Amino acid sequence: MAAMMQSAMPTSEPGYSFSQAPQSVAGGPRQHGFYPYTDNGGTTLGITGSDFAVLAGDTRSTSGYNINSRYAPKLFKIGGTGSANEGARIVLSVVGFAADGNALKERLDTVVKMYKFQHNKEMSVHACAQRLSHILYNKRFFPYYVHAILGGLDENGVGALYSYDPVGSYERETCRSAGAASSLITPFLDNQVNLKNQYDPTSGSGLEKVTKAPQPLSRQTVEELVTDSFTSAAERQIEVGDGLQMFIITKDGIEEKYMELKKD
Amino acid sequence: MDALVAQHSRSQHAAEGYSEDEMQQQMSADLAQPLSLQFALPPTASPSQWLRAMTDDHSNPQCPIKIAHGTTTLAFRHKGGIVVATDSRATAGDWIASQTVKKVIEINSCLLGTMAGGAADCQYWLAYLGMQCRLHELRHKRRISVAAASKILANLVYSYKGMGLSMGTMCAGVTPSEGPALYYIDSDGTRLAGNLFCVGSGQTFAYGVLDAEYHYDMEDAEALELGKRSILAATHRDAFSGGYINLYHVKEDGWVKHGFMDTNPIFWETKLKKGEFSNVTSKMDE
Amino acid sequence: MEVLLGITGKDFTIVAASKATMRGPTVLKSSDDKTRPLSKHTLMAYSGEAGDTVQFAEYVQANIQLYSKRNASELSPYEVSSFVRSELAKSLRSRNPYNVNLLLGGFDPITDKPELYWVDYLASSARVPYAAHGYAQYYCLSTLDKHHHPDISFEQGMKILRMCTDELKRRLPIDFKGVLVKVVTKDGIREEPYEDEKPVYAP
Repeated sequence: MAAMMQSAMPTSEPGYSFSQAPQSVAGGPRQHGFYPYTDNGGTTLGITGSDFAVLAGDTRSTSGYNINSRYAPKLFKIGGTGSANEGARIVLSVVGFAADGNALKERLDTVVKMYKFQHNKEMSVHACAQRLSHILYNKRFFPYYVHAILGGLDENGVGALYSYDPVGSYERETCRSAGAASSLITPFLDNQVNLKNQYDPTSGSGLEKVTKAPQPLSRQTVEELVTDSFTSAAERQIEVGDGLQMFIITKDGIEEKYMELKKD
Repeated sequence: MDALVAQHSRSQHAAEGYSEDEMQQQMSADLAQPLSLQFALPPTASPSQWLRAMTDDHSNPQCPIKIAHGTTTLAFRHKGGIVVATDSRATAGDWIASQTVKKVIEINSCLLGTMAGGAADCQYWLAYLGMQCRLHELRHKRRISVAAASKILANLVYSYKGMGLSMGTMCAGVTPSEGPALYYIDSDGTRLAGNLFCVGSGQTFAYGVLDAEYHYDMEDAEALELGKRSILAATHRDAFSGGYINLYHVKEDGWVKHGFMDTNPIFWETKLKKGEFSNVTSKMDE
Repeated sequence: MEVLLGITGKDFTIVAASKATMRGPTVLKSSDDKTRPLSKHTLMAYSGEAGDTVQFAEYVQANIQLYSKRNASELSPYEVSSFVRSELAKSLRSRNPYNVNLLLGGFDPITDKPELYWVDYLASSARVPYAAHGYAQYYCLSTLDKHHHPDISFEQGMKILRMCTDELKRRLPIDFKGVLVKVVTKDGIREEPYEDEKPVYAP
């Protein structure tokens, strides 16, 4: 009642423009919500072959329904020399919260470069993968909001791909998709790369059915699968579009390809 | 003179171990919470509460960060050793994050760990345990006992109690001093020795099959088949379990891997050849 | 921690229900019969909200008996299950619905086949070869998946039931005071003596 009277009376003090004044007692301890994350959308994808690894990501960056940028790469070269990472053989892709992704990239890149300065040899993808896991786990109680995929070539020159959850559990795989359209792309990849639910048509029926064994794919097939995945994802996922960046890692280095995606 | 010599020399056997200095160093290295202080914490009054709001899918299905979780694992002792079996599914919320997770972690040639709960927690801390076990081996010139290994892990997770770690793990191994030994350790700090454990959301279904036919005097083949069948039962009834059956046998001279087998063909073979799973209809008119 | 189990075989249906009545931390009774015969060849076992269970069971029991008297004919187990389901569905959409889970075990003397229906408080009904309600689902369904076959003999059926109750005794932290076992065959419903005293321990 007192509050009503007060607001009804003309005063020199500025009134609240909100429909309701603060309810809590002034001066008491107040807990602020701490939400240091946003989802910047987008999707990444990696597939390996017998002598190469392909990592790809769209270049759109969103926050909510706004598009912040049509070219904000999610793929980063790790190691090599200088800020352009010349001669690098490892690629990191991150989706989720772009700021965390950048911080993660900076950390891993520093580690890989320091490794070379200290040991005078390139860090293997295997070692780099384990290090990345530890970097993520070091923030177990304040996680990086990211899904990371790491690609390169292993000691035998075979394509290597490692995927991570936000706190660093990791696994070597032949293919993996992460981010906004992973639920659209993963089933497609399961079917086309790992040949899930595909049977030899000459093998009969029932228990006689023989599953098709996955074979290493050619580079061209992989690139086609990647473009098909992203053009399809851009049709159905609002957070995917604008551009497709692809890094192909071979023994000769990292080749970059860029392709336009739909801009709507 | 003799007293002076004695003061500055050591007998042959005394030279073999560690010097006082070395001992001191090691003690402080052992006592220091290794790694623990390096973990980043959110700048809030209650970090664990904040972490729960961000990552606990169970209490908050809309949580932004979905941590991969593991599911059905079992291990049991029998006269021929220890059978260890797991499924291979990892889920993040209701999304199947992976069907090919290796939930048996090879700590060394005679010790296995299993993972259920947070995938990263298990992976990281069992790798850490592997490191500690190797250090023990180098310091003491013999392999660590399963009891000691499991206690390292139990003490470690207990020091993080209430911080949000989530793991239910089993340590299975053979050492000359203990024979085959099996321990259950979880993130509450529980550590139990036992003959038979199932851990994860599919545990009850695995227990149902395992308890009914388990006896210590089983032959190797029989025990391995029972372990495999118990995981199959869990993958059939528990939606969070599935993928492949990962089967291991721990024997006198270390562990042996018995395959990473797709559940789908095994299910249909079990149904159609043995007539089990009679609630599943395979014909349209039933 | 109420237990309901049902197993069908070649020429019988076994229905088992735990004997404990629990209220909070107390066991009020350890010889409770959580079943009601609905007709000569249909037996209903129930669990759920205290009060609702017996009220609902006796209500459908009375109505089915009334129907048989009026029409001078027995309802088949399938017809009984349909009636029970529809009553539960009606109740679900009322101001205060019955919170009752059911197993309907029966034997159809015309088709000469055993029948079992799994019905929950949301009025889902499914004809199944074996069934469980409550915690028993988690512990026994995998056992039943493995050991049940459609044409098992009564002795085999009891053996499987023993596996199930042993497992529950072994793993459930609260004593459910054993089970009451009833069997439906072509001759009607009978109670089967069941040895419940022997303790079972986890290995």
